[in-house]
Amino acid sequence: MTASGAPITQLVRAAAAGDQAAWNEIVARYEGLVWATARAHRLSHADAGDVAQTTWLRLVEHLDRIREPEGLGGWLATTARRECLRHLRLHGRESPSDNVDLFEAPADDLPGLALLTEERDQALWRAFARLGERCQALLRLLVSADEPSYAEIGAALDMPVGAIGPTRSRCLEKLRALVGHDPAVQGGAA
Amino acid sequence: MSNDAERDDGLLEELRALLGRADPVPHDVTEFAQAALGWRRLDAELAELLTDSALDTDAAALTRSGDDGRWLSFRSPELAIEVEIRSEAGTHTVLGQLEPAPAAATVEVQAADGTALAAAEADPLGRFRLTLAAGGRVRLRVLRRDPAGAPVESSWLVL
Repeated sequence: MTASGAPITQLVRAAAAGDQAAWNEIVARYEGLVWATARAHRLSHADAGDVAQTTWLRLVEHLDRIREPEGLGGWLATTARRECLRHLRLHGRESPSDNVDLFEAPADDLPGLALLTEERDQALWRAFARLGERCQALLRLLVSADEPSYAEIGAALDMPVGAIGPTRSRCLEKLRALVGHDPAVQGGAA
Repeated sequence: MSNDAERDDGLLEELRALLGRADPVPHDVTEFAQAALGWRRLDAELAELLTDSALDTDAAALTRSGDDGRWLSFRSPELAIEVEIRSEAGTHTVLGQLEPAPAAATVEVQAADGTALAAAEADPLGRFRLTLAAGGRVRLRVLRRDPAGAPVESSWLVL
């Protein structure tokens, strides 16, 4: 069976019956959403990993009772968000700083900047890191690998779906301005 | 209008490529997620997490008594498990209650890989007490001998 193009309903049913290929396809489809949700809550790399793992274990334990497989992305995003809140409530943030921006994360924690050799990439990364928390969170979700729906993004960030479009425009405008003001970039945004 | 939309899409695509390289899903998370399917225990009945005081709203937290205990409740179709966790200096004490109380039951704390970290007999009122030397991701597994029943496993909980 070719799992990669299969409808989610079929994948969930197959995975619940123990089909590892179907399960791997579900993981491939949604791992970007789960990871982006954890990172959007500004958890460290290690803490985000813990939250993502717990989220996948919760899906496994619920696999045979998923009533609406079409809503799986929203369920995963909601579950990941709740795990983030639980983690923050119990452990707080690893960093004492309230402004854990990715740009300043330790090199071994997040390769980030070191991997980006192009000036333009570095400028964009710096600009992204200077955005407000809400903008970073929303943009991170918007560009997560699986192109989540607005419903899924709303579930991940506890944001009304109707607010996503306007916030997206505003955040991109800010990002563009920040990149444009970066001295390393001539001529502003491409 | 469509120019703005195109510019927005272009910037998002750039950001997508950037984050894909700078902060991808870690391989160990992918491997863990894939392996998790194989750790299902199909013999057990799930006791689902219903409430966790760690997720209380601030208002609800304020009305609770002042100590630092964490309360959780789990429900399976046949059994309820109420748990209080007291954490001190890295040691976690789990005080629990099974409802209805089985005449004979063992409660285990399991690590993610199925290892039993601690076990205790429930008393005739269904109460049990377990001590864990470390935190982490665990679940409770209840083995009911009298009346005999399928094992009941709680949702995962992170200490």
